[in-house]
Amino acid sequence: MALDILSKTPFPTRKDEKWKYTPLKKIKKLPFTNNSSFLIKDIKSLNLPSFDGLSIVLENGRVNPNLSKSLNIKGVDVSFLSTSKENDSFTNKLKTENYFSLLNSSYLSEGIIIKVESGVKVQENINIINIVSSNDSLVNTKLDLILSSHSSIHIRQYFLANSKTNNGFINHSNNISIQNNASLVLDKFQDLNNNFHISNDSIDQEESSKFISNTFSMSGLLTRNDIINNVNGENCHSELNGIFTPFKNDHIDNHTTINHHVPNCKSYENYKGIMKDNGVGVFNGKVIVHENAQKIEAFQQNNNILLDDESTIYSKPELEIYADDVKCSHGSTTGQFDQESIFYLRARGISLKKAKELMILGFINEVIQKSDSSDYIDFILARVLEN
Amino acid sequence: MKELLVEIKNLECRIGDQEILKGLNLKVNKGEVHAIMGPNGSGKSTLSSVLAGNDNYEVTNGSISYLGEDITEMNPEERSWKGMFLAFQYPIEIPGVSNINFLRTALNERNKYFGKDPIPAKDFLKMVAEKSALVGLDNKLKNRSVNEGFSGGEKKRNEIFQMAMLNPKLSILDETDSGLDIDALKTVANGVNKLKSSENATIVITHYQRLLDYIVPDFVHVLHEGQIIKTGDKNLALELEKKGYDWLKTGNSIN
Repeated sequence: MALDILSKTPFPTRKDEKWKYTPLKKIKKLPFTNNSSFLIKDIKSLNLPSFDGLSIVLENGRVNPNLSKSLNIKGVDVSFLSTSKENDSFTNKLKTENYFSLLNSSYLSEGIIIKVESGVKVQENINIINIVSSNDSLVNTKLDLILSSHSSIHIRQYFLANSKTNNGFINHSNNISIQNNASLVLDKFQDLNNNFHISNDSIDQEESSKFISNTFSMSGLLTRNDIINNVNGENCHSELNGIFTPFKNDHIDNHTTINHHVPNCKSYENYKGIMKDNGVGVFNGKVIVHENAQKIEAFQQNNNILLDDESTIYSKPELEIYADDVKCSHGSTTGQFDQESIFYLRARGISLKKAKELMILGFINEVIQKSDSSDYIDFILARVLEN
Repeated sequence: MKELLVEIKNLECRIGDQEILKGLNLKVNKGEVHAIMGPNGSGKSTLSSVLAGNDNYEVTNGSISYLGEDITEMNPEERSWKGMFLAFQYPIEIPGVSNINFLRTALNERNKYFGKDPIPAKDFLKMVAEKSALVGLDNKLKNRSVNEGFSGGEKKRNEIFQMAMLNPKLSILDETDSGLDIDALKTVANGVNKLKSSENATIVITHYQRLLDYIVPDFVHVLHEGQIIKTGDKNLALELEKKGYDWLKTGNSIN
């Protein structure tokens, strides 16, 4: 079915408003192949922070059992579409129908289904590592995640490319349902170097639920995040945070939509971009407060630093409000390092290099402190400063 | 015999096309307090910026030597490591960087320069407690972002707190009295006085004589149009307070 629709769906171009700042020509031209071989021998070679709990490693779209660590967690049901008898997961309804989500459904390599039972508060982190390790490899993966009422879980996704891998493409979808009073923290770490990555995320929130998304996009020839957060129940809390660092010809695009369909909810969005060396960043965040969704508090912010004259940011914060009793704001800033601040730090004996590092840390601090793990914070900071 | 700490010889400098210092001479020995006074636009803040190594200013002639070494071209961090300190007229806010992290980084960068190990956390915190008491810096401010949301007075206290932490040989206080009420002024001056020793020196840059009631100078210099046009003792400051600067600008030559 998806394939039928896909065949009738035109490949997006820059004339399409949603792709105005992100050219897809390179993706269109590449001769992608399916290569599901396993090339990575040791998970340690990826230099990720240490894992506790469950980790699932997908390499070129297939679960690599040698690198994964299975663990039975009470109240958490994990299954895979490739081995599951129920081939229809709850989200085969295709919530977000765009070219890449259709491509994903049509040529799915593997899907993970995680269901958290009612009232289960999962203490362990769930780590899902999605790696492309073959050149030109097209990988279509998805995660279906259901949080039953009063449950909570913390999921960490890594989207990575093996070093020396070029022109691979991880096309991923997250289909997430957060039922009443449930709570999800979803961290995404994306470091794709010379490869492509698109993630289509659809999140549905029911009454009194909480969703926190932290997206750390470090590199990629083209990394695109489409997050659609539908808030369908009252008293919800939604948070979309992000740090993106397109350096050395990277192109990183964050598109987000928060749909406030009902009253009495709060949403916060905070994205920080650092661009360098012909890097291009895009932020297009949209908050829609639908009619009758009164007493909404929605705050959206995007701040950017351009480290040189060769880098670019397109920032487009948008608010659409159809209710009349709401508290909403949005804003965007773009600047360079403040030279007076740098001088101040140097005058206190902090070297130029370290002064710039401190300024960068200060800039992203607000977002990075959202994470509850100092290991993970250190991991992100080290990766940002490595650039 | 007093030991020479800093010697400025015939210093000329500009920012953009504008010449600001036009042949400034000054000698400061260890153990001395020098006040530099002068009307607006005379070059006081420029002098402090150039001493600290701000490269917005271009030195076109003359030299600055510090402990016998020519530092005219030295970068700001190295000057700091060697014991120079500028208390800023307008301290800068650094959002997202805590005061504590900032100071620990500063101390450890200096330790690194001298090939020493980073300061142990316990010693560092003890030092913070001691030195912040010296200037009455509110405990809460130490964990807040550098100067962010600080009042004018808190920012100035924070400057002197940093000075106490770094324990410089040459302190340059640029209009440290501006924006301070009389109580805060006394506290700050008291902090500065406690840090004074026969091994260090202070250059106090100020518009008004008021601060000099509390930080008593050995020498008072009047800066006008980029040159020191008169030098005296603390009584010169009192005289300036009464008569203003105009009587010096006309008729009096250098010396």
